[in-house]
Amino acid sequence: MSLSPGLRDLLAWRNLAHDKVRFFVTLIGIVFSVTLMAVQTGLLTGFVTTISKIVDKTDADLWLVGRGVRSIDLPANIPERRRFQVLGVDGVAAADPFMHVFAQMKRPDGGAESVAVVGFDLATGRGGPWALAEGDIADLALPDAVVMDRLYKKKLGVERIGQTIEVNGRRARVVGFTDGIRTFTQSPHLFADIKTARYLTGYAEDRLNYVLIETARDADPQAVAARIRALLPDIDVYTKAEFSTRSSMYWLVTTGAGFSLVIASALGLIVGMVVTAQTLYATTMDRLPEYATLRAMGAPGSYLYGVILRQAAIAAVFGFGAGISIAAFIVHGARDGSAAILLPWQLAVGLGLATFAMCAAAAVISIRRVMAIDPVSVFK
Amino acid sequence: MTALVEVAQARVVYGTGEASVEALKGVSLEVRKGEILMLMGPSGSGKTTLLQVAGALLSPTAGTVRLAGERIDGLTQEDLGRRRLRHFGFVFQHYNLFPALTAAENVAIALDLKGVPAARRRAAAHEALDRVGLGDRAAHFPSQLSGGQKQRVAIARALAGEPDAILADEPTAALDSASGKRVVDLLHDLAKAQGRAVVLVTHDPRIVEAADRIVHIEDGRIREAAEHPLPAEA
Ligand SMILES: Nc1ncnc2c1ncn2[C@@H]1O[C@H](COP(=O)(O)OP(=O)(O)OP(=O)(O)O)[C@@H](O)[C@H]1O
Ligand SMILES: [Mg+2]
Repeated sequence: MSLSPGLRDLLAWRNLAHDKVRFFVTLIGIVFSVTLMAVQTGLLTGFVTTISKIVDKTDADLWLVGRGVRSIDLPANIPERRRFQVLGVDGVAAADPFMHVFAQMKRPDGGAESVAVVGFDLATGRGGPWALAEGDIADLALPDAVVMDRLYKKKLGVERIGQTIEVNGRRARVVGFTDGIRTFTQSPHLFADIKTARYLTGYAEDRLNYVLIETARDADPQAVAARIRALLPDIDVYTKAEFSTRSSMYWLVTTGAGFSLVIASALGLIVGMVVTAQTLYATTMDRLPEYATLRAMGAPGSYLYGVILRQAAIAAVFGFGAGISIAAFIVHGARDGSAAILLPWQLAVGLGLATFAMCAAAAVISIRRVMAIDPVSVFK
Repeated sequence: MTALVEVAQARVVYGTGEASVEALKGVSLEVRKGEILMLMGPSGSGKTTLLQVAGALLSPTAGTVRLAGERIDGLTQEDLGRRRLRHFGFVFQHYNLFPALTAAENVAIALDLKGVPAARRRAAAHEALDRVGLGDRAAHFPSQLSGGQKQRVAIARALAGEPDAILADEPTAALDSASGKRVVDLLHDLAKAQGRAVVLVTHDPRIVEAADRIVHIEDGRIREAAEHPLPAEA
C-alpha cells in the first residue's frame, strides 16, 4: 500500500462514509473492544508490575528464599546464619538481609490497618525504598523510623513527617514519603532498617525472610545459584527475574485475577470482531453489484479484497484512536486508585496490532463473498 | 483486417440434466479490429451469452475462443480477468457506475485497474470525459446525472483504458431515443476515430445504421451475417 491515498482508499472511505449510522456502529464496536482490552490488559499489567515491583526494583541478582516460598509477600522465616554461609560461596559478592512481614497498625486516630513492614540493611541500602519524595532516607537510622508512600496517607491517617503510629503495639515514626510505591495486597509498605523491622514485628535478632545476593561481576548467576543450592538444601534460590515472575504468577493464578482479566480481554476482542464483521459484511452486500462490475472489468481478486481490507483498516484506525484515548483517560483517572492500570507504550502498540488483526479477521467473510462473485452477474 | 476475437463452434450449456439449457448451439463469430458489430435477435436467443464468451467472461462448454491469437477458453477466472483488462472495455445496460465516486473518479477506476499512476490518472480521466462531452460534469456523482449522461460516463470509463474492443450489452435499452442515438453515435465516432472494435447487443432497430456488420441470433444459432455498408470514408 502506498502512503498517498489511492482510488481504492477513496472507494473504501466513501463506502464507509456513505452509511454513517453503520460506520458509527462499527466504530462503537471497535471502541468498546479496544477500551475493554486496554483496561483489562492494563489491569493485568498493573497487577503484575505492582506485585513484583519490590523484586524488580531491588538490586539483587539472586534471591535466597525459604523453602517453597511462592511470592515476595508470603515469606518464610529463615536463620541469618544462611546469609553468612552464602557469603562464603564462590561468586557471591554481597549478601544482605531483607524482610517483608505483615503487621497490624494503629493509625494516629486510633483506627486499625494492615501494613507490610519491609526491612532492609540501611548500611548498604539494598532493598530500600526507591522513590523518596519527602524526607531523608538517612533518617531511617533513627530508632522506630519508617518510610511510607504518599498514596496511602489517607488510608493510614498520616499527613506529615514526624507523625507517630503504632505497629503491632510498638511506636513508630514516619520520617519520609515515597511517591508511587503501590501495594498489590492493599497493605501499604512501611520501609524500615532491618533492625527497626525486627523490633516492630517481633522478629528475633538472628531471623530474616530473604537474603539479597549480588554476584561477582564475572560470575554466572545460574552457576552461583546452583552452588548455593548444593550447599543449602533447605532453601530455594531464584534469579531476580524468576522470583519476580513467581511472585506475580502466584497471585494471578490463586486469585483467578489473571484468568478473568485474560478472558475479559478475549471477550472484548471477540465482540469487536463480531460487530465489525457484521457491519463490514452488510456494507459489502450493499456493494455487491459494484464488486461484480469491477470483476467484469477484469479486476483481480486482490483489487477487490484490497477495498474491503482498506475499509477494515480505516475502521481500525478510527476505532483504535478513540478506544485508546478513552482507555488513557480511564488510566489517568485510576492513577491514585487502589489498583494500578498501566498502559505502557508497548501494550498500546500491541493493542493496536490486535485491533488491526481483529478487523482483518472480521473482513474474511466479506472477502470470501466477494471472491465468489461471478463477473457475468453484472449482465443480469 | 485480422480477427481480434475468434469464437469457433461454441456451445454453452447452463445447468445440468433436466433443467439444462443450451444457450449457444455451436456458434462461430469473428470480431475484427475497428469494426462495429451488432448482435441482434429475440429475447433468450443467446446474445448476452455470446457477448460473454467473446468478451472472456465465460468459457464455453465446448468449442474454442481465441483472443489476439491466443486460446483463452478454459483459463481460470483470474487469467480471464487479466485478458479482459488488457483488451476490453465494457458498457452495461444499467451503467454500473460507482455511486460513491464522481464521474472522473469512476473513469479513473478503470485506469487504476490498469496500473496507471495517480498523477496521470487525473488528466486521462478528464480527457476521456471531454471526449464524451462531459468535461464539465467531472465532479458530479452519478445520482446527479441523467441516464444518457451516466451511459456516456460509462463509455468514457470503458474507453479510458484504451481497449481493443468495447463490448456493450443493450447500452441504449434504458435510454430515450435521443439519448440512445447519442450514445451509439458516440460509440461509432470513437471507434472509427481510434480504431477500436465495438460489439453491441441490441434490440433497438433505430441504431442499426451505425453497424458495419449485423449478426442475427435465434435459439442459440447464427441465422445470417449481413454486411451493412457504411459510406466510404475520406
Ligand atoms: N445463468 C444462467 N442459467 C441458466 N440459464 C441461463 C443463464 N443465463 C442465460 N440462460 C438461458 O440461456 C438462454 C440465452 O440467454 P441470454 O441471456 O444469452 O439471452 P439474450 O439473447 O441475451 O436474451 P435477452 O434479449 O432477453 O437479454 C436463455 O434461454 C436463458 O434463459
Ligand atoms: Mg441479454
